[in-house]
Amino acid sequence: MTTLIDDTALAPKIADYLTTQLGHAVTVGAVRRFPVGFSWLTYAVPVTGIDGTDATQELILRLGPDYGLFAPYSAGPQVLSMQSLEGSAVPVPRAYWSSEDPSILGAPFMFCEKVSGDAVVPWVSASEPGLEEGYRKRLAEQFIDALAALHCVPWQSKPVAAMAHGITAENAALRNVEYWESQIARWALRPYPQAEWGLRWLKAHCPVAPRVAIVHGDYRTGNFLEQGGRITAILDWELVHLGDPHEDLGWASLPMYMGGSKLICRLAEPDWFYARYAEKAGFEVSMRSVRYYQALSLLKLAATHMAAARCFEEGRFNDMRMPAMGSQIATCLRQMEKTIEAAP
Amino acid sequence: MNNSFARLIDGMNATLRSEVLSRLDDEFARGQVFGVINLLNTFKVRADWSAGFLLEQLAVQRTALDGVAALMQGRPEAATLPALPPPGVPASVPIAELLAQRDSANRAIGDLLGWLDAQRAQLPPQVAADIEHLLRTAMRSELAIELKNSPRPLFAEMSSGSED
Repeated sequence: MTTLIDDTALAPKIADYLTTQLGHAVTVGAVRRFPVGFSWLTYAVPVTGIDGTDATQELILRLGPDYGLFAPYSAGPQVLSMQSLEGSAVPVPRAYWSSEDPSILGAPFMFCEKVSGDAVVPWVSASEPGLEEGYRKRLAEQFIDALAALHCVPWQSKPVAAMAHGITAENAALRNVEYWESQIARWALRPYPQAEWGLRWLKAHCPVAPRVAIVHGDYRTGNFLEQGGRITAILDWELVHLGDPHEDLGWASLPMYMGGSKLICRLAEPDWFYARYAEKAGFEVSMRSVRYYQALSLLKLAATHMAAARCFEEGRFNDMRMPAMGSQIATCLRQMEKTIEAAP
Repeated sequence: MNNSFARLIDGMNATLRSEVLSRLDDEFARGQVFGVINLLNTFKVRADWSAGFLLEQLAVQRTALDGVAALMQGRPEAATLPALPPPGVPASVPIAELLAQRDSANRAIGDLLGWLDAQRAQLPPQVAADIEHLLRTAMRSELAIELKNSPRPLFAEMSSGSED
């Protein structure tokens, strides 16, 4: 059953919910929806009276409608991971309230702190000039260090441990592949034998992880905020899971995030990226594993485009960007095949 | 329609850019417009008028032409009739049937990949290699045709609601 989200009706529902949570009345101004994202909806919500005064504070609301990519959603993984990273060297917004109950705001949701900063766009035209050198280097260092810090978090003693479900360094890759196989089976509108071929190769070549770590799942330019050359927050935790840290390296180094440059995420020279990451994360990066996870990442991307095509085809919503994404399945599968062919 | 499919797409693109985007300040709405433009570009290189739509039109025309021919049969004025297109159903396969055939073949290729994995040890190595080569060539070729018929994606514009 698809429940459409009426943006104009959100404010009074949010006010009711926060009033109940806080134990005193608050007022909510006009909510503003951001254009980013293809799954969870993101809103800026001005709330007056959170601390009992007449001060207004802007919160971020993330809402997972049951008609988005890979729906249905749970707020749990995002909340657990963000809570697990509080006080760590990974800059994350503070998670406040959340619920899986769709009767409150129409879908599972979470509120978090609004952090200042802007996103660096990953997709730019070939004519777009690169980032200013000093600025780029500063961002790159923080981008790498935050990822290494994420992969060093002792998650076993954190809330995110609830997501472990028996994962080990030995089974992390296979579980991941099987998860995406199930997503393709669920979302593809038609058979894609090249995806099946990729799945077979990935299952037959699973690497052992150097450790089980918190994996962001979508770590790239565009998913962090920066202000004055400082990364203020890593965002978009909806694909977070426990797994092989090489997965984030493979995803971040995809060619589609290089913006026409030879730099990982338009930020870092590959050799320096891996060397600095290895030093900070405390293990030797396996380029064989990086390439394996690049191939899996391209399959994930193809699966995401398959889901976009189905969402639009079934009329789940009319976001015109969905079918445009769906037209990129072949691109991802072709690059996946090339990546696999280049594997040692 | 009196205009060509491609010209109409060009016209829609031009209208969206010059008449809609120029008046639109909202980032999300601008991203949506770029999504539409992206799709229109895809349609321009891949699509044409629906075969089913054309077949319906042809059937209506055929009814009229055949009806006239029947009425005029045996009459002396028939000699002055202009030349009519020959009767008969156009030798065309509905697009939906072509799509179904493509999916069926892809399903078969997927099944063959599984079969090959299971039977590889029993097959002579060269036979297995030849089968794999055939399947992979087919998969690669299908993707190549897709890619040849795909315009440049406008992800940057759809995300930001603006372009260079």
